[in-house]
Amino acid sequence: MGIIEELKVFDDNLISRLNKLSSEKIEYWDIRAGSTIGNNIDFTNQKSKEISSYEILNCGIRTFLNGGWGFYVLNNLDKASILEGFTEAIKLAIQSEKFCKNKFQIQERKPIIKNYKFNSKISLKDTEIEEKIKIIKEQEKNASNFSDQIKNTRTVYLDRHTNSLFFDSFGSFMHQEFEILRLFSSVYANENGITQNALNSVGGIGGIEILENDESRNISLKSAKQANELLKAKSPIGGKFTVIMDPKLTGTFVHEAFGHACEADHVLNKESILGNKIGKQVAIEEITIIDDPTVGQGKKFNLEYELYGSYYYDDEGILSQETKLIENGILKNFLHSLETSSRMNQAPNGHGRANSNVSKPQVRMGFTYLEPRDWALEEMIEDTKLGILCEDFQYGYTDPTTGNFQFKCRFSYKIENGEKKEILRDVSLSGMTLEVLNRISAIGNRNTFHYSDGVCGKGGQGIRVCDGGPYIRIENLTLGGLN
Amino acid sequence: MESAPDIYSLASKGIKHAMRIDSNLKAIELYFSLNRDMNIEIEENSIKNNEFGFDNGFGVRVIDNRGALGFSFANKIGEKQLLKIIFIAMKMMRSGTPDPDFKAFPPTYTNYPNVKFLYDKSIKDLSLEESTNYIEDIITICDSDDTAISQSGAFSASIAKTYIFNSNGLEVHSKESLCSISSHMIAKDKTTNDTSFGFEYQLSRILADIDAIKVAKTALKKAKLNLNRKKIKKVKVPLILSPQGTNSLILKPLATAINAESYQYNRSFLVGLRGETIGSEHLNIEDNALYDKGVGSSSFDGEGVPCQNKKIISKGLLHKNGLLHNYYTAGKDGVESTGNAARSSYSSIPRIGISNFILKPGDQSRDDLFEDIKYGILLNYTGDRPNLTTGDFSGLILQGNIIENGEIKEPLNETMLTINLLDLYKKIEAVSKESRTYGSFQSPYVKVGNVQIVGSVN
Repeated sequence: MGIIEELKVFDDNLISRLNKLSSEKIEYWDIRAGSTIGNNIDFTNQKSKEISSYEILNCGIRTFLNGGWGFYVLNNLDKASILEGFTEAIKLAIQSEKFCKNKFQIQERKPIIKNYKFNSKISLKDTEIEEKIKIIKEQEKNASNFSDQIKNTRTVYLDRHTNSLFFDSFGSFMHQEFEILRLFSSVYANENGITQNALNSVGGIGGIEILENDESRNISLKSAKQANELLKAKSPIGGKFTVIMDPKLTGTFVHEAFGHACEADHVLNKESILGNKIGKQVAIEEITIIDDPTVGQGKKFNLEYELYGSYYYDDEGILSQETKLIENGILKNFLHSLETSSRMNQAPNGHGRANSNVSKPQVRMGFTYLEPRDWALEEMIEDTKLGILCEDFQYGYTDPTTGNFQFKCRFSYKIENGEKKEILRDVSLSGMTLEVLNRISAIGNRNTFHYSDGVCGKGGQGIRVCDGGPYIRIENLTLGGLN
Repeated sequence: MESAPDIYSLASKGIKHAMRIDSNLKAIELYFSLNRDMNIEIEENSIKNNEFGFDNGFGVRVIDNRGALGFSFANKIGEKQLLKIIFIAMKMMRSGTPDPDFKAFPPTYTNYPNVKFLYDKSIKDLSLEESTNYIEDIITICDSDDTAISQSGAFSASIAKTYIFNSNGLEVHSKESLCSISSHMIAKDKTTNDTSFGFEYQLSRILADIDAIKVAKTALKKAKLNLNRKKIKKVKVPLILSPQGTNSLILKPLATAINAESYQYNRSFLVGLRGETIGSEHLNIEDNALYDKGVGSSSFDGEGVPCQNKKIISKGLLHKNGLLHNYYTAGKDGVESTGNAARSSYSSIPRIGISNFILKPGDQSRDDLFEDIKYGILLNYTGDRPNLTTGDFSGLILQGNIIENGEIKEPLNETMLTINLLDLYKKIEAVSKESRTYGSFQSPYVKVGNVQIVGSVN
């Protein structure tokens, strides 16, 4: 099956010993183990600040008994250490069970035996560090030479090649091998004592080809151009406005304000605004929101690689699949881990994810997006008397219990009488999720649809995700400004 | 865990080997860390998970005669692996660009400050059963209150051993402990059906100092204070920052703004303001690595440089030497390192970070600060962060209340604060005597003169 040397310790003999150790003591266990090699490269002002290379080997053993979990982490992958860790992990689950009040059983499932390998077009593992540096130097040069106002440039490149195993007490045994790359370009421009910053990134599952299309090649130029343009930007005036969100912000809204409320662990912990709303109308009829992290969507966007947030199976061995969250305004599904699906008596849908083998899976999103409709962006602007066109987000967050969200946009444009006017900086948008889902007055068409990559933080773990959608228009949103 | 003597002999072998194989190598540094963690987690106010783990690894940093840096790390400690990682680090170094500012790694130091109580043996010996008692305490607080409907939280305890060696002969070792308790409480008003949350945590070097009940009670109090939120109009009124609010708007932004790296790259809103007054006389800040038990205390930093207590801002004046340095940024500026090289793990090169970052308490009581406010705003928590290049802040008051006649009243809904941080610092009118410690931050209540609050009522 092409399993690398370091992971061959997990053979039939070891697995049968684990089954013996666990039988009659606990109800379920799973193990994730893997080997990762990678490079981190950080250039500032065309000079290398960090060029690093690493090799990480680790393993997480998870055990379960009647509602209580145990988790044991080690990075010594010899037979004796694994058996010792497994024995300890059993004790941890038994101790959890003693105190846990929410008793339940893990749904039985059919074992899956699968081997996945994603072949990068230009393998990261086989590309020399000098080649990678050449690409970064080019990005740095492009940004630095853009204009006299560019005072500081930074390019960060992160890649890794991963081999990993998942196997569990139901008899599943899965192996996957793939590569991931991400590149960030941050540029600072300065003029007359004003400094402005722009940041862009590109990423995906695949190899060097991720950096070879036009959009990727021009990523630092884009940052430089934006930072330059922001020098002219004015602070916005606070108040209530009609707002047009670009695909990045639509994606942020769908992920931050709505998606987190669909995570079934939040629902069980009584901190979701969607708690009792399955089957109910929560948005206007034109709204359909989907989470689809399956591998194979790259070609939809004419990419030679796969989307950054995609995966073959989650960290609990459930295959990734499409899940409709809202269909025509009606809330259809939550996102589930093994635990939440077992407790809520639903089929698991592949959203138990962890940021590495040494972290526990939590309910997480994959690629969450709003389906496009029929407005062209030009029509949306023409149809707006007084509003703000908001583009690119800096960060965002939501109070899950109330749905009060807040996004910071990088740059925005005033719209007056159907025309795009002057540029504004640091606009913050705030609203209530369920109100906004019912106050959308225009949804862009397929041509306006785009996705973006990101890392989503929850419970101390950062997970690779994508989100997206078309341009959308929202009535009566609160804007914060400095004036 | 590996035993200490192994690491000392490994390190000396590694350094000798490296110096032999490449004559362009100027210096090498080896950083080892051995970590052990225990964690108990609750969800829906019930124990859900017990966790135990090890994370041991090392990082190799090398510079050559051109000042080019290479770095490599791995989590399998052994001689064969060490020599391989040294080889790879040197390969990375050779592919780097020259940097004349990268002159050296730190020399040996004869004296290190003696900082006490950074290691608590009772954390090393702590059993799972004993740890469960802390969690049971916070569960009880939620169970015994009608308004509290759910709680998530965690107790964790960890031991970290660190070893740093470099080719100048520097050799340091530390053993530290850390434990923490957190509570995220969900409250519901049974009559109005309104739901809210409150979050509180405590980090400590010493197990006996953990007060789980107080943490859960504070989280509950915050959750209740935030029930039945009200929208307000746009107003210009006095503002009080709670200790957590002080962290968000004063301590955290300043900690980044005085980082020598962001300063050298002109990314900080404080560039050009050293030696100038940037706040009112009530703004007094120091970064102190030396007091006993401090979560941010240490006798040496991530490069083995001795730590210090540094005055950053006194009576509103940003000191000329008020920047935080690691060995590289200090060399670039021609000053001594302040001992602020920060390394979160063996997997990272030294960045710059605070030790214990302290806003000095004032002489008025917390109640005095509130007393003469007829109508004002209390800011407990905002998820927003300022733009650190411009100092502009425009953010949602995620947890905050109206202050009326000196008393805390209704919580705020969809209300934003917009201000430039330098304006805010100049408008500080008072700082309370009482102070709270959140990890490496020590923050009092702060009263700020009239500021713009953007409500969502037209």
